[in-house]
Amino acid sequence: MQPTRQWMVTHKWMVEPMQQTEWIERRGVMVWLAEVFTSLGAGLYLVSLFLNSWWGALIGWLIICLLKLPLHIIYLGKPLRFWRLMPPFTNAWRTSWYPRGVFFTVLFTSFAFVQLVTTYLINNELVLGSALSSVVAADVVFKILAGITAVLTAMYGGFMMSYCKSVPFWNTGLVPIVFIITGIADGLALIMAVGMGTGGIDITAVESASRFLLVINAILIASLLLGASYQSSTAQLSVKELVVGRVAVAFWLGIVTLGIIIPLLVSIVSLFAEEASTNLLIFAIASHTLGAFALKYSILKVGIHRPIVPKVSAY
Amino acid sequence: MRWGMVINLAKCTRCHGCVAACRIEHFLPLHLTWPRLIAWETDAGKKLEVSTYPVRCNHCKDAPCVKVCPTGATQQREDGLVWIDQNKCAGCRYCVVACPYQNRTFLSKDKDPGYFPGYSLTGFEKKGKKLYPHQAGTTEKCNFCMERIDAGLANGLKPGIDREATPACVNTCQAGALTFGDLDDPESEVSKLIREKDGFQLHPEYGTDPSIYYIDGKLCGCVSNKAPLEATTGSHIQHLSTIEDRAKEIFGAGVGGK
Repeated sequence: MQPTRQWMVTHKWMVEPMQQTEWIERRGVMVWLAEVFTSLGAGLYLVSLFLNSWWGALIGWLIICLLKLPLHIIYLGKPLRFWRLMPPFTNAWRTSWYPRGVFFTVLFTSFAFVQLVTTYLINNELVLGSALSSVVAADVVFKILAGITAVLTAMYGGFMMSYCKSVPFWNTGLVPIVFIITGIADGLALIMAVGMGTGGIDITAVESASRFLLVINAILIASLLLGASYQSSTAQLSVKELVVGRVAVAFWLGIVTLGIIIPLLVSIVSLFAEEASTNLLIFAIASHTLGAFALKYSILKVGIHRPIVPKVSAY
Repeated sequence: MRWGMVINLAKCTRCHGCVAACRIEHFLPLHLTWPRLIAWETDAGKKLEVSTYPVRCNHCKDAPCVKVCPTGATQQREDGLVWIDQNKCAGCRYCVVACPYQNRTFLSKDKDPGYFPGYSLTGFEKKGKKLYPHQAGTTEKCNFCMERIDAGLANGLKPGIDREATPACVNTCQAGALTFGDLDDPESEVSKLIREKDGFQLHPEYGTDPSIYYIDGKLCGCVSNKAPLEATTGSHIQHLSTIEDRAKEIFGAGVGGK
């Protein structure tokens, strides 16, 4: 007994499992791009902290300030009300990941700005004498604070999505973990580009870390898909859309090939050749970054709502 | 006190009177609808069968939209009504994505082209812009006609009994399929209907406790008014991992079977 025809096509989305459109179609494209830049910016900043790359941290900070935040604000139906999203103008942070995320981002941009200034002062020996120890101490403190808030900034989008019960594919604790791990992997790819421009980055070490994270990434994404296929019929539908459906090109070409296989192959080549050639590295970095765009696109695109009414062809 | 609604699926004639009444009551823009009527045909064997569900905001007791709203624009009153303060809404659309019942609509500019696009506004529209201004760039949904409820209560009237204090859709329903009242009052009409006819909510497994109950429904020849009471226990919810399972629990093994 299958539905043969549906009445009132305008509300078709209420009867059958329907894809969410608010965060991926039309102006929703800005949410996708903002999420990608969150991953790239926060990831690059975190990796730069570990590798002591001031330029990397600066670029990561700029990506968040100049790309992520403006995109999120422009997406709003009432952009001039963006201040309402931030504590102390709202107390919704108690229950909602959205204002928490905005708060983390604002804290990150503030802490990272101070850290960039203190590190610049120290690196260029602009502070001497008794003030130096205070600046060094401040630098350490703000590195820790900015690092923590960068992790939270990279993850909060995943928590926002995993809260949505009506979208079973997102409704799992794996999503924020995927977001942070892919963010760091994206950061590792970008830091190689920074290192090629400014020097001072141990590309071989970055390649090793990247190799490790790419494998973790592949396992996480496989776990996400496998877990979703056990979860519910709607989540299964999301997986189907991703693997053999309308989003299959973004998945296989973007996530799997460009995002994982090519960067992994390049890093394996560098394992034997000690260091991959510059051209090969540039190719791997570009490939990985395109993979980052594909990952967020695919996850947002296959967010499918469970139907509102129990019906014969049940989900 | 908790306002709620009971929808008799057997009585609904798909006349769309509730949709029209709401449009007039709230001066809704052309492409915005608060209550919706969804219907679909199913091949039930000998002949086609039509299933109809009038849906609108469920005013959930544990409303996800209230929890996710980053600005506090979506609020819940003590009487259970969930409403949106349009002046606070920033238009992030998190609530639209998070609502398990998909009963929220983001009012983009293209949803309000005027009733006769290309022509000047009608007198009705002009009046509506003053009396009930809708803000493009914010989210909207059914508010159970809370203006009518508040005004009615202030005048000593009883929502669900006195028309002046009752939602417009309930007043308009020519078939009497909609009943409104206090869910907390065991003697109210809605409580009696839920009790006597085993009223059921949509997606009880989400734990949102909707304030809208359905009775006397049919789905593919199966009576659908058996309340999924067992779904309230945690262990049972684990087994209701799909709507298919839940549909079978509610409507019997004949539903969804191949």
